[in-house]
Amino acid sequence: MNFFKTFKSDTWVKPYIKQYKGLLITALLLGLMTSFCAAALMFTSGYTIDKAATHPINILLIYIPILLTRAFGIGRPVFKYIERLMSHNWVLKVTSDLRTRLYKNLEGDASFFTEHHKTGDIMGLLSEDISHLQNLYLRTVFPAVISYLLTIVASLALGVFNPSFGFFVFLLLFVEVFLVPLISVTIESARRAYQKEVKNDLYIQLTDNILGVDDWVVSGRKKDFKNLTSKNIKSLDSSKNKSKAFRRNRDFGLQLVFVAIVVCFLIFTNLTMTHNQAQANFVSAVVLAIFPLSDAIIPVSQGFEEWPLYKDSINRLNTVQPVTNNLPKQVTINPKDFNSISLNNVTFEYDSNSPILIKNFSQNIHKGEKLALLGPSGIGKTTILQLILGDLSPQQGQIQVNDFDISQIQENREQIFSVLNQKPFLFNTTLMNNVRLGNEQKSDAAIKQAIERVGLKDLIESLPDKYNTIVGENGARFSGGEQERIALARILLQDAPVVLLDEPTVGLDPITENELLETFFDVLQDKTIIWVTHHLQGIKHVDHVVFMNDKGIEMEGSPQQLYQTNSHFKELYQMDQGI
Amino acid sequence: MIDKRLFRLPGTKKLLLMLAGLTLLQAFVILFQGKYLAEALVNSWEQKSLQTIIYPMILFAMAFVLRHLFNLLNTKIVEHYASQTSEEIRSQLLDKIYNAGPEMISEEGTGNLVTSSLDGIDLVENYFKLIFTKLMNMSIIPPVLLVYIYMQNIASGITLTIIVPLVILFMIILGLAAQSKADAQYQQYTILSNHFLDALRGLPTLKMLGLSKRYAKNIYTVSDEYRRRTMNTLRIAILSTFALDWLTTLGIAILAVFLGLGLINNSFPLFPALVTLILAPEYFLPLRDFSNDYHATLNGKNALNSIFEILERPITKDTDALDDFTWNENSTFSIKNLQFSYKGVGTSDVSLDIDQIKLSGYQKIGVIGKSGSGKTTLIRTIGGFIVPNQSEITINNQSVENFKQLHWQKQLTFLPQSPYLFSGSIADNIAFYRPTAPLEDIKKAAVSAGLQDFIATLDDGYQTQIGEGGRGISGGQQQRIMLARAFLADDRRILIFDEPTAHLDIETEYALKKPMEKLFKNHLVIFATHRLHWIKEMDYVIVMNNGQIAEQGTPQELANHNGAYSQLIANMRGDQL
Repeated sequence: MNFFKTFKSDTWVKPYIKQYKGLLITALLLGLMTSFCAAALMFTSGYTIDKAATHPINILLIYIPILLTRAFGIGRPVFKYIERLMSHNWVLKVTSDLRTRLYKNLEGDASFFTEHHKTGDIMGLLSEDISHLQNLYLRTVFPAVISYLLTIVASLALGVFNPSFGFFVFLLLFVEVFLVPLISVTIESARRAYQKEVKNDLYIQLTDNILGVDDWVVSGRKKDFKNLTSKNIKSLDSSKNKSKAFRRNRDFGLQLVFVAIVVCFLIFTNLTMTHNQAQANFVSAVVLAIFPLSDAIIPVSQGFEEWPLYKDSINRLNTVQPVTNNLPKQVTINPKDFNSISLNNVTFEYDSNSPILIKNFSQNIHKGEKLALLGPSGIGKTTILQLILGDLSPQQGQIQVNDFDISQIQENREQIFSVLNQKPFLFNTTLMNNVRLGNEQKSDAAIKQAIERVGLKDLIESLPDKYNTIVGENGARFSGGEQERIALARILLQDAPVVLLDEPTVGLDPITENELLETFFDVLQDKTIIWVTHHLQGIKHVDHVVFMNDKGIEMEGSPQQLYQTNSHFKELYQMDQGI
Repeated sequence: MIDKRLFRLPGTKKLLLMLAGLTLLQAFVILFQGKYLAEALVNSWEQKSLQTIIYPMILFAMAFVLRHLFNLLNTKIVEHYASQTSEEIRSQLLDKIYNAGPEMISEEGTGNLVTSSLDGIDLVENYFKLIFTKLMNMSIIPPVLLVYIYMQNIASGITLTIIVPLVILFMIILGLAAQSKADAQYQQYTILSNHFLDALRGLPTLKMLGLSKRYAKNIYTVSDEYRRRTMNTLRIAILSTFALDWLTTLGIAILAVFLGLGLINNSFPLFPALVTLILAPEYFLPLRDFSNDYHATLNGKNALNSIFEILERPITKDTDALDDFTWNENSTFSIKNLQFSYKGVGTSDVSLDIDQIKLSGYQKIGVIGKSGSGKTTLIRTIGGFIVPNQSEITINNQSVENFKQLHWQKQLTFLPQSPYLFSGSIADNIAFYRPTAPLEDIKKAAVSAGLQDFIATLDDGYQTQIGEGGRGISGGQQQRIMLARAFLADDRRILIFDEPTAHLDIETEYALKKPMEKLFKNHLVIFATHRLHWIKEMDYVIVMNNGQIAEQGTPQELANHNGAYSQLIANMRGDQL
């Protein structure tokens, strides 16, 4: 069944059980001790009362059970407290390892991002998966293991007095902690997976409902607006109701088995322990001790039910495998010696099934040159930048920096290339730290100077925290244009000879865009620039324009020259300028 | 402890009544369960034969089974109520979004609030499931058991009575201490817990900067720091659970000792002692359950709160004030002294202060201005998505308070910056304003919008499903579908455009221009844009600045003097080739 299949080739859960073994075993033993104390508390109190009811002459005769009662009464909460701390500590330690591993694997796999950038927030999913693993341990694995240990210990303890009764009780407990949970997960797996899928759809529909509410209001179709989600809500509800009914009945069944265990104990104690008063004093003790066990036994099935959620996470994490990098011998080019980038007859397709994206593309870019790359979206402009960086490899043709193949300079690539894209990533820390990432050796003065050069000095110094302003999640504290400027300051510090600009001004209004482009080309004057853009605003800054269409290069040349000689370019330019 | 608004939800009172009855029954079977178990045990202790315990044993088992049967019923009723009520709330929320959504979403940040509220329905459902049962159990079961215990043994009754306020006191003290400690750490705590996600999302950037390899060490350090802090907080946070546990188990232990001493002194027989001991854990159980799932309860409560907040927002009334009409070449509308303002999140205040606008017939009006000048606010007001604080609006000589009028909006086609396509077929999406349109009309509209070539490449043609907000279709084709929608809805004669081509590349925009010009004919067009070439198609321009109209007139008039219009155009163009 899928339960075992998932674990067969798993490398994200199993290996970590062995990690920090001491701590893990301690946590599990403490869990066992908690249940043991709970049972022992009832055992000793039952015995105390029974014994006292025989009116012993000396109070000292019940002194020891009284002492034990107090000890177990304190022991249970103390063990429980320490157990919770220990298990959390263990899980969080493993989490740190898992996070580091996930990060390293992703770090080695540059193509992962290109492949997955369409599937939404894959990073958010992966980081959630790790928290799911935490819950897998805390809510499923630990309670299950503790209940198994408890079953074994209890059955063995009984077995010492009466082997056949011990075995009988073992069977009943086995049903409670193993059979029913397994049946649960088998029955509920498919249902839960289905619910998750419907819920996902529903979530998307509801979000769409909100995003599209303007249109729906204008259309006047109120009923249809609500009907959009009603089908999914209904099927989700009916499936959930089945799950709930199953869970209620299952828990009731578990209680029936439990009461059967209690009745067995009542009969067993009556039959075997009523031969003399000394034995009979233990009757209540033995029977009462089993009641607290239900706290540890009944929830196991519940924990198993969450399995489908964890399964998805485990499967997804297992798809992130370390990439063996087979780069050729690396060379280092001194940034000062950078001379040219050449693309010779480059052809690229994502895989053999998809159409050829880039066909026989050639281009020579010399030091200090400014090149603009235009074309309709989806034509492969960004792909060319990825090829130039070496994140993707062409099927045919060659990409060279000076005389070296691009794959040979990957190790110190940041010394040659810097990149500024549509939505530059800012870390949720101070502005200073964000810019400093460009070159961690630079002094605070140099960082402030870079911020001044990109035209942010006045703004930053007007803020209450000045250079130590926290930029917020994804840089939310600053506007789109300001975020670009911060990223530009970072690039200034990085000081690489080639700057790749990937539509950095898309979505900005033309005035902001103009100002930003002025700044870009002013501070990057002595750099080589390859600029992917979606329209002709600011095109006068470049030396060479390349227009791509689905057949290849449609036209190229200097903007002035194209304006004179190419009517399509002229039309587009006039449209862009509104003249 | 419990929100009063809960009682206003339909079915809550009935639910509480039913639960009270069931819980009372449950309390009594718990009592019988303890009583007959004690009887059986006493008989065994007296070394009587198996026959003597069969009768109490069967009654015990029956009580036990009944107890869990009542519990099953209880759960069933509560779960039914929870899912019904949360569905009802969801439905109310959707109604609210329809009736007041555009206004709410116009206010920055509220859009998020709405999304998270819908998201929070599950939390609310869970909250309903937990809160009523817990409250009932706690207020009914312990008192019933306590009365019985007093009847059996007064000293035990007193012991158990005293412990409860102690437990509550300890929990409050420790709970407060934990809360203040957690609050103090919270900000750093969230930064640390989000650090990993931040690093993953920023990995490409780190790679570009050549820092990604070194950063792996940082991941571990920060994660371990997070662990250390979590453990510190946890140590205190679970202290209150510990205290509760400790006091209740200690309560049982103390009880056992008292009972033992009492028995030795021969003050009472075994049965009352045993039954008290058996019922003591049951007495504490509802209290312990109540403190469990603290976070689930808290989250649910907060989610419910924010939902109530949205539901209680006022809705604009009188959306039916405007008489039915059809916009034609002789129609006019005018706006005078329109004022609108709201405080956005952070520093982004939005305000609108319009002296007067008068538009008529099939005019083409361009609305231009730099970002933040109030273009979007103005056209959203005209679209009826924003209700002004004050205004004199006249539509075809009938004066109304705002544009949020059913018969006004029936005249509109709205094209936003990012088009909204709902999950369904392409045909359904084109027929958005006319769901009953025959397929030939849909095809005709698609041809007018220049979609036919694109649709021909699709295997399923017009029936192609484009679910999830049209993802998977390029921006250009999405806008064409929106245009086809407008072509099909030829009874709607007012077009409102909010920078529909802002995100498109120049060649795609170029290709879209022809069908759009065709659509403009015989329509009143109100077009907010910062793409200058559209101004050539307009016969009237409104220049916005700081929420006010800086200038308005025909493009020729405005171009002829060096006013706001000319300056704006020069700034937008930048230097030319």
